[in-house]
Amino acid sequence: MRNLIAELALAAAVLGGGLGTAAAETANIWVRADGSNFMPRIVDAYNKAHTNQVKLDIIPNAEIIPKYGAAAAGGTAPDALSLDLIYTPSFAAAGQLEDITDWAKSLPYFASLSPAHVKTGTYKDHIYGLPFSADASVLIWNKKLFKQAGLDPEKGPANWAEIAADAEKVNALGGNIKGFYFSGNCGGCNIFTFTPLIWASGGDILSEDGSKATLDSPQLRGAIDLYRSMVKKDLVPAGAQTDTGANFFAAFAAGNIGISPSGAFAIGALNTQYPDIDYGVTFLPGKDSGWSSFAGGDNFVVTKGTTKLPVVKEFLDFAYSLEGQTILAKYGSLPVRGDIAKEALKDLDPRYQVAAEAMAKGKTPYSVVFNDLINSANGPWTQMINEVFFGDDVDGAIANAQETMQSIIDQAPQK
Amino acid sequence: MTVITAATPAPPRARKVASRQQWIGLLYVAPAVALVVVFFLIPLGMTAWMSLHNWPLMGEHSYIGLGNYVAILRDTRFWNALRFTAYYTVIVTIAIFVVAFPLALFVERPRPLTNLYRTMFFMPAVVGFASASLLWSWLLNVDSGLFSPAAYDLGLIDRKFNLLATFQPAFWSIIAMVVWKVAGFTMIILMAGLQSIPQDLQEAAVIDGAGPFARFRAITLPLMRRTLALALILSVAGSILAFDQFYIILRGGPRNQTLTAVYWIFNQSFVSFKLGYGAALSMVLLVVLVALSLVQLWLLRKPEGLD
Repeated sequence: MRNLIAELALAAAVLGGGLGTAAAETANIWVRADGSNFMPRIVDAYNKAHTNQVKLDIIPNAEIIPKYGAAAAGGTAPDALSLDLIYTPSFAAAGQLEDITDWAKSLPYFASLSPAHVKTGTYKDHIYGLPFSADASVLIWNKKLFKQAGLDPEKGPANWAEIAADAEKVNALGGNIKGFYFSGNCGGCNIFTFTPLIWASGGDILSEDGSKATLDSPQLRGAIDLYRSMVKKDLVPAGAQTDTGANFFAAFAAGNIGISPSGAFAIGALNTQYPDIDYGVTFLPGKDSGWSSFAGGDNFVVTKGTTKLPVVKEFLDFAYSLEGQTILAKYGSLPVRGDIAKEALKDLDPRYQVAAEAMAKGKTPYSVVFNDLINSANGPWTQMINEVFFGDDVDGAIANAQETMQSIIDQAPQK
Repeated sequence: MTVITAATPAPPRARKVASRQQWIGLLYVAPAVALVVVFFLIPLGMTAWMSLHNWPLMGEHSYIGLGNYVAILRDTRFWNALRFTAYYTVIVTIAIFVVAFPLALFVERPRPLTNLYRTMFFMPAVVGFASASLLWSWLLNVDSGLFSPAAYDLGLIDRKFNLLATFQPAFWSIIAMVVWKVAGFTMIILMAGLQSIPQDLQEAAVIDGAGPFARFRAITLPLMRRTLALALILSVAGSILAFDQFYIILRGGPRNQTLTAVYWIFNQSFVSFKLGYGAALSMVLLVVLVALSLVQLWLLRKPEGLD
């Protein structure tokens, strides 16, 4: 794939040069592995249509932040980066990003760009990041297995009791088939798919401004009980306990999992890479009713001092075009331009509509120490979810995580 | 370093020669000195300098004196990591020697296929730790790996057992992997030591009526003192710096119980972006390591009067 892109890039560059246009420049862009489905496609499309070229590097999710930090310190950072939106404020605060306020505001469609992204992309009234990809967490179920288990294949679970009951029925099919899957040792996966269960039931794990950890709530305990009961009944594959996120999507895609919390990205990835899987998409439900979602995705940020700013702008402008938004949607990202979202999704799988609605009403937690609290493989959140889902001491694990999270928040530099 | 001891008082002519020899000697060691300066002393100095700063991965840094070192005193997770590292070092070093010594005795004497055995046992040592960890990470995987699925398919266990989910099996899996990887290297060192023992000493002892055990205790072990010291220091230093296998296979889990000292330094530096603090932790670890190596050298020093 990468070779193909490189060849295409080369071919386009030669073609461009032959036409006698201005000297082509190549900008280097990084994306985390979550974007590995749609990013090469849009870069490919851009490179074909433009003289300037983009060279893409795909970095594993867990490595992209330290790798970028180290590259920036060493002066070898990429020109731009598709950055998990929750990191934008801390990157901007560190003085690492180019201020793109004027350019952003000059875009005719600026007002219709995803507000969750623009909010996290803004630091002290200056814009350092613009929305690139969007992803909302949803619940997906395998229709074929539902049918085999005697369930209505068109009706996904709408509350916690239904999740447990449906998973149990699917699991009863036996053999390799398991009822439910989640990555039990992955903090990032579970903030994305597990906390919406809590939000939908009226609880939260952090206060609105991120200054207080509020773990010990009946909603969190209820959601934990749901997962624990499914683990206890053996509805979850044994590998879930040590999955640090590698199988977050792959487990369901293998076709023998009944239900799995996932993200909108799964729609594009399943449709293109696993067209045989017949699946449904619904909201992550609350205990009895209601639903919620994590509004996530990437902001596009520019490394301070890059000389390739025109290429980067041209690329982003292309991504915001109807063509770009359609490519993104087709391969797993929700559109980030509200004004043309409907049009971009019009010919696509109707299941995207659920995800688009989830995105519009989703929540994005805010914290300057998000990495330390949540995403770090050795942070308090990751440790807690593993302990409460599989361990023996739920109370101790919650109390320990509450204390550690609060102390990390309190020790954080006040920015 | 012999060039220095050569500079004893001497007649003028001899001194001139000696001083020329000194310069030539210096010239000979210059490349090595340059390497040490560029790749060890300068980075070490920079680390020490950074450890006195609040130095984030991105953005401005500021001088804070000994602030980082004061913070280390209160960093219970670092001390826990250091305690786990010590525990791991003791266990893995014993395990390596228990496996490597019999192997060395086995391959020391020429016998049919000795070279084949030597090569076989040594082979894993040429694999990098990261590659070996990736390999074992797959072997140990509960759903698609080797050990657990094979045991399940053979009917040895009723349901697949996740080796990496709880501390004891996870920890011993790592020990097994490290022994597999390192024992061959230790074996070669010990074998060289065994082969350097003069054969006539053994023969004389046999004539005097010493049994195999007495010969091992009274001849082999004392004469291998230096070899043992080398193998021990390499093993201990390597184990204290353990990181790859715990990062790649376990991610410090289950539940952060296998965070080693270097892993904690990595986390502070590249997850929390506190490079200055990471540098201070590195300096502390360096002191620990140097102290331990000195203690080992002292314990295994040459006894008085023995050449």
